[in-house]
Amino acid sequence: MTVTRSNVALWVGLVAAVGVAALLGLGIGPVRLTPAEVWTALAGRGDVTAVAIMRDIRAPRVVLAALVGAALAMSGAALQGTMRNPLAEPYLLGVSGGAAVGAVIAVASRAPFGLVPVGAFGGAVVAVVLVLAIARAGAGRPDPRVLLMAGVVVGAFANAVIMVALASAPPDAVRNALWWMMGSVAGATWVQVGWLAAYAIASASALLLWAPEIDVLALGDDAAAGLGVDVDRAGRRAYILASLLAAATVAAAGLVGFVGLVVPHLVRSRAGRRHRAVIAAAGLAGAALLIAADLVARTLRAPSELPLGAVTALAGVPFFLVQLRRYR
Amino acid sequence: MHHRRSPFLFVALAALLGASAACDRPSAERASPRAQASSALGVSTIQDDFGDTLVLGPSPRRIVSLNPATTELFFVLGAGDRLVGRTHYDLYPSAALAVPDLGNGMQPNVEAVLGARPDLVVLYASNGNRDAAKRFRAAGVPTLTLRVDRIAEFRRTVLVLGRVLGDTTAAHAVVDSVDRTLARVRSATQGAVRPAAFWKAWDSPVIAIGGGSFLTELVEIAGGRNIYGDDPRPSLDVTIEDVVRRDPDVVLAGPESARRMRAAPAWRALRAVRDGRVLIVDTMLVGRPGVRLGEAAVSLARLLHPGAVP
Repeated sequence: MTVTRSNVALWVGLVAAVGVAALLGLGIGPVRLTPAEVWTALAGRGDVTAVAIMRDIRAPRVVLAALVGAALAMSGAALQGTMRNPLAEPYLLGVSGGAAVGAVIAVASRAPFGLVPVGAFGGAVVAVVLVLAIARAGAGRPDPRVLLMAGVVVGAFANAVIMVALASAPPDAVRNALWWMMGSVAGATWVQVGWLAAYAIASASALLLWAPEIDVLALGDDAAAGLGVDVDRAGRRAYILASLLAAATVAAAGLVGFVGLVVPHLVRSRAGRRHRAVIAAAGLAGAALLIAADLVARTLRAPSELPLGAVTALAGVPFFLVQLRRYR
Repeated sequence: MHHRRSPFLFVALAALLGASAACDRPSAERASPRAQASSALGVSTIQDDFGDTLVLGPSPRRIVSLNPATTELFFVLGAGDRLVGRTHYDLYPSAALAVPDLGNGMQPNVEAVLGARPDLVVLYASNGNRDAAKRFRAAGVPTLTLRVDRIAEFRRTVLVLGRVLGDTTAAHAVVDSVDRTLARVRSATQGAVRPAAFWKAWDSPVIAIGGGSFLTELVEIAGGRNIYGDDPRPSLDVTIEDVVRRDPDVVLAGPESARRMRAAPAWRALRAVRDGRVLIVDTMLVGRPGVRLGEAAVSLARLLHPGAVP
């Protein structure tokens, strides 16, 4: 991503946004702490309670929210480019549905709660494989439009499976499953953060590495083939990487909608045409946005919380409307 | 999550389904016993918590009780053998297990209930049950919806069920015996310093018992103070950090819930957890406002003030 005079402001602004969001996320909570107390507690000194609040509650939450937001936004940016469709996002392409099925089955079969993320991830992988298989069977090769339709179909099927599972599951399992599906980083732990960070950094790096291929794909299949790109392979690779990136977030924080759809549109007009820049910018914007959304989720209805997925969807709609006006 | 069916599931489920009955009416109205006798014109009626009227006829023979608290009471009042349906959570007394399980009691399967051919259906008065109550009435089945969240509502429920069954003597005996034990516990813990207690009923999300629950009253009677007693809801989901801000002296939780709490790093922010003040309550005993309210108060008092209650 080349830094030119015109987009220097964009990158500085995005990094600053993440920093400000993180500072607010660390500084605000039901227990009032002064900035000095926040700092000493983060460093592990001072009041035991303050240290535990900062190190075991707020900090893992902020970091997890940042990772989830970044991963979802990057995934969406890559998919929109690959599919040449402004509506493409991980959740539309069956990932969320598959993950939710996996999680609900894990919950309903009374697996230990720690296995729910594993179930979610497994479900997402199955959904991705299914989408690819359907697209291949339908069109012979993964045409972006067919891939999109296959994703929607798999998503609808997953919804049906979820409804059947929930209707026949014991009510306590239903409660856990519903809570999980509404999305939340409330239970964030460093172990979770570690897993997601390792996973997200690997997939995001791969996505950035192959971003130039997405630039070519975005020109259209014929043009891309004319430029010597193996269209099928490049498209499939981008789809799989983006989907797995989203799947990991679902495993860590449940279903947090709209980030993957809206954030790429917010940065696309400013980050230029190169997908390496668009994906990276979307990642930063997604991180800042989700930290802020989580802050809203945990303060607006204190002492209770709002589901994070509800906050992102509510905030996402006006953002999207503003963006639509810009497209006119 | 819990491998043993916890009585709190009924509370948690009610909260999940937006059922907190406490929100239906202004709180001043809630405490007053609404089901009153009106013997005008020689017809004896009971007004239930949805404002519907039940005309008392001959004592019912086939009863579906979709609330753990009322199921228990039917057994205590000697009408357990007339039950033809219960909820999934009605595990006390053990004879209740022989009654057919008709689901979780919230938004019940109307056809399954009607299939038991009841001549009385008793429901928990939560918004989620309004539709079902209407349908049962439409099908000609006398239906009684009762809120049983507070101790006063428990007393009222016992007396109402006594009238329905035509045995008010037994009902009064039950109420009197519970009240005597509660009074004994209250006086035994009266002078003691009142620890602030956080009652954790669920883990994901974290659900606290609120002021609208009989459990808050039990904590008071047992010589404690619920940190969420100021919230009118029977239960509410809360953030861990808000619990930390309220800084309870002790935590009350079931065995599984307590184990989770000690294992989760985030809960270390709570002074009570660091000091090892997580008290394990017998969830099967205290889980519902029933005839063992007195026993439940005694067990809580023994946790909060060891030695105060013999």
